[in-house]
Amino acid sequence: MNKIPVVINDTKLEVDPHKTILEVCREHDIEILTMCHLKGIIDIGACRLCLVEVEGVHKLMSACTTKVAPNMVVKTSTERIRRYQLITTELFFAERNHVCAVCVSNGKCELQQLGYKVGLDSIRYPFLYPQCDVDTSHAWYVMDHNRCIMCTRCVRVCNEVEGAHNWDVMNRGHQVRIISDFNTPWGESISCTSCGKCLHACPTGAIWPKAIVQGQLQKNPAMITELIARRKMKL
Amino acid sequence: MIRHELHALTERVKAKQEHFKHRICVCCGASCISSGAEEVLHKLQEEIKSRGLEETVEVIPTGCMGPCNQGPLVKYLPEQTIYQKVDCDNIQRVVQSQLVENKPLEDLLLFADSREKAFVNANEDPFFKQQQKIALKDCGDINPESIEDYLIAGGYQALDKALFLLSPEEVIAEVKQSRIRGRGGAGYPTGLKWETVYKYVSDQKYVICNGDEGDPGAFMDRSVLEGNPHRVLESMAIAGYAIGATKGYAYIRGEYPLEIKRFELAIKQATKTGLLGKNILGSNFRFEVEVRIGAGAVVCGEETALIASIEGKRGTPRPRPPFPAESGLWGKPTLINNVETFAAIAPIILNGGEWYSETGTPKSAGTKVFALAGKINYSGLIEVPMGTTLREIVFDIGGGIQNGAEFKAAQTGGPSGGCIPAAHLDVKMDYESLMSLGSIMGSGGLIVMDKSSDMVDVARYFMEFSMDESCGKCIPCRVGTKMMHDLLQKIGDGKATQIDLDRLEELAEYVRDTSLCGLGASAPNPLLSTLRHFREEYVSKILPAE
Ligand SMILES: Cc1cc2nc3c(=O)[nH]c(=O)nc-3n(C[C@H](O)[C@H](O)[C@H](O)COP(=O)(O)O)c2cc1C
Ligand code: SF4
Ligand code: FES
Repeated sequence: MNKIPVVINDTKLEVDPHKTILEVCREHDIEILTMCHLKGIIDIGACRLCLVEVEGVHKLMSACTTKVAPNMVVKTSTERIRRYQLITTELFFAERNHVCAVCVSNGKCELQQLGYKVGLDSIRYPFLYPQCDVDTSHAWYVMDHNRCIMCTRCVRVCNEVEGAHNWDVMNRGHQVRIISDFNTPWGESISCTSCGKCLHACPTGAIWPKAIVQGQLQKNPAMITELIARRKMKL
Repeated sequence: MIRHELHALTERVKAKQEHFKHRICVCCGASCISSGAEEVLHKLQEEIKSRGLEETVEVIPTGCMGPCNQGPLVKYLPEQTIYQKVDCDNIQRVVQSQLVENKPLEDLLLFADSREKAFVNANEDPFFKQQQKIALKDCGDINPESIEDYLIAGGYQALDKALFLLSPEEVIAEVKQSRIRGRGGAGYPTGLKWETVYKYVSDQKYVICNGDEGDPGAFMDRSVLEGNPHRVLESMAIAGYAIGATKGYAYIRGEYPLEIKRFELAIKQATKTGLLGKNILGSNFRFEVEVRIGAGAVVCGEETALIASIEGKRGTPRPRPPFPAESGLWGKPTLINNVETFAAIAPIILNGGEWYSETGTPKSAGTKVFALAGKINYSGLIEVPMGTTLREIVFDIGGGIQNGAEFKAAQTGGPSGGCIPAAHLDVKMDYESLMSLGSIMGSGGLIVMDKSSDMVDVARYFMEFSMDESCGKCIPCRVGTKMMHDLLQKIGDGKATQIDLDRLEELAEYVRDTSLCGLGASAPNPLLSTLRHFREEYVSKILPAE
């Protein structure tokens, strides 16, 4: 396939067309922060961490959903973008209830790592502390909505990879919640196959196996990407 | 039905109507119905019958006539005499005077209780005089449930012209020449959009009519669909012909059952008459239309969310590109236009694009429908040439502020728009001028405020609306609107400091720039524009620094 020229952060690159800005940046070791992206599943552009400036476009574009085009000029780390990444991270922490010290995911959490990356040292917005359930009804797993950041990676993995579509989203605005089946306890789900893929897809400590203590959670989101790639190879 | 039969049919229905000397129109728009118009209609029909006048006088229900807060309204044609606040008690007096004694009943004429002299011919009243009706033409004069009425008013002549005298390219050229821009809010050039969809090659394309209309206080699209549904249907068929689509969807809110009922009836009538379906007028062109009912989420008016909703998915927006023109409904090229945009298409095709472009301003051609609401004397539905000033709308048409109070501001564009202060009353209502003041044209909601309005609370109210209507998919809109709302509340409560105000401004800019769709991107507008024009009101509520 013919390559096309693009300029990212003042560097000229020859890249494959039909790829997203994010894919191209990852191939060239240009850092782009992401949260809702999980390689292999369909991108939705929801976390807005991957926003980049594209010359000639007045809006900021999500790198995960925007395809490269010939002679596209992209900037990934301007002052404005970094400032917005910081606010996004603050809002993630302020939205629900993220207490790292007692979390199974402590030390391995993508949200926590994001905090370090953007240099978060305090949160300037009030914590919303909404009423969120902890669903322990499943025999093996727990869903703690307090730690959910609504990236919907679990929803998409369950739907696109496992084909079960146990997870979905209900309500609007800041009231949105992940639901199992039609908002029934996870343990009563008739669609869940207990495959555990959602647990690996989840970037935080929202979904985890029972009998795991603080900081002990082992997640392997790359396994999902690998699985998708292998299935494609077979086809 | 083939082509010459349409003309024959039109002539036939015309002849059938000729024995009527008077037509009495009873406004059955939403507002008049809520003040008892349906009862008036039945009473009036009985009254005409009991007086033995039914051979010469026809009584029909119509769509919205405009001066909604004076209803129920009854209009006599051809005299163009409108009576206001008609009820079952005063009906007989009106009929006696107007039809038997042949003189208007002065004390019930439109605006008789608020003007020094009311007009017998309502078109001479300032409320109507400054208006120019293109999208709303016939609305209020014809029975929306009768295809015959629409045919007599020249209905389906534009479709006939498009199918037999124009190529798809020529239809698109007319729309381009009209310079009409989308009336759904963004103002994108309609001709350009049509051309883009036309150019994509695909086995299937779709036409979608966006009738989701969810802004508070807005009822423009609803009035068009309730008052003249065939016009929109005809225009959708023209669009289908132009871009190469055989299927159209009209997305209408479930809260508006009358709108759905009338539009579905129109589809049935048009299909039965051979103006929809296979081989329309013998032209080989096929086009079908289906109604899809929305569940009342504002965000489902956003085109990609609307498409997801039609597909049976959760109605949330997705990033663009790809735009619907390239990949829309079920991944096929899709043309999506607003109800009011479609309402202007048939006249554009019939009279030519140049005719339409002569109205309005160079960059904003044609007319715009506004829903006047708030502290204005005559609220209701109006249609004016683009470029009419806000002052003309508020004072000449709307009759000024209630109780002679002072005008403070007008909010255009609803929760996505901004306010215009008194200093800018002479702003021309067109896309660019409104934008330069930090507001937007939006879909046409226009809320007038007097001195009693607290602008911080106005901003809070609209922010609450956006916060509740946010789909919750992207974080800036989901959490940002909540944070901004809470900060506005804090300022309103007199508990905020300068730090809070700084945070609020920073968040506003952030949410505007980073949100996934237009809902979040425009949610800060009321806040930003009240800050721009009424900053002192914010500052006066801020606690002094410690
Ligand atoms: C949150 C949101 C709500 C919208 N609601 C409507 C609506 O109710 N009706 C409408 O026609 N367009 C609405 N739009 C604009 C549509 O996305 C789209 O631009 C429009 O239907 C295109 O038609 P037009 O070019 O004729 O204006 C909305 C946009 C956003 C972002
Ligand atoms: S901006 Fe608001 S409405 Fe639009 S996608 Fe984001 S959360 Fe949903
Ligand atoms: S990774 Fe692109 S928006 Fe989340």
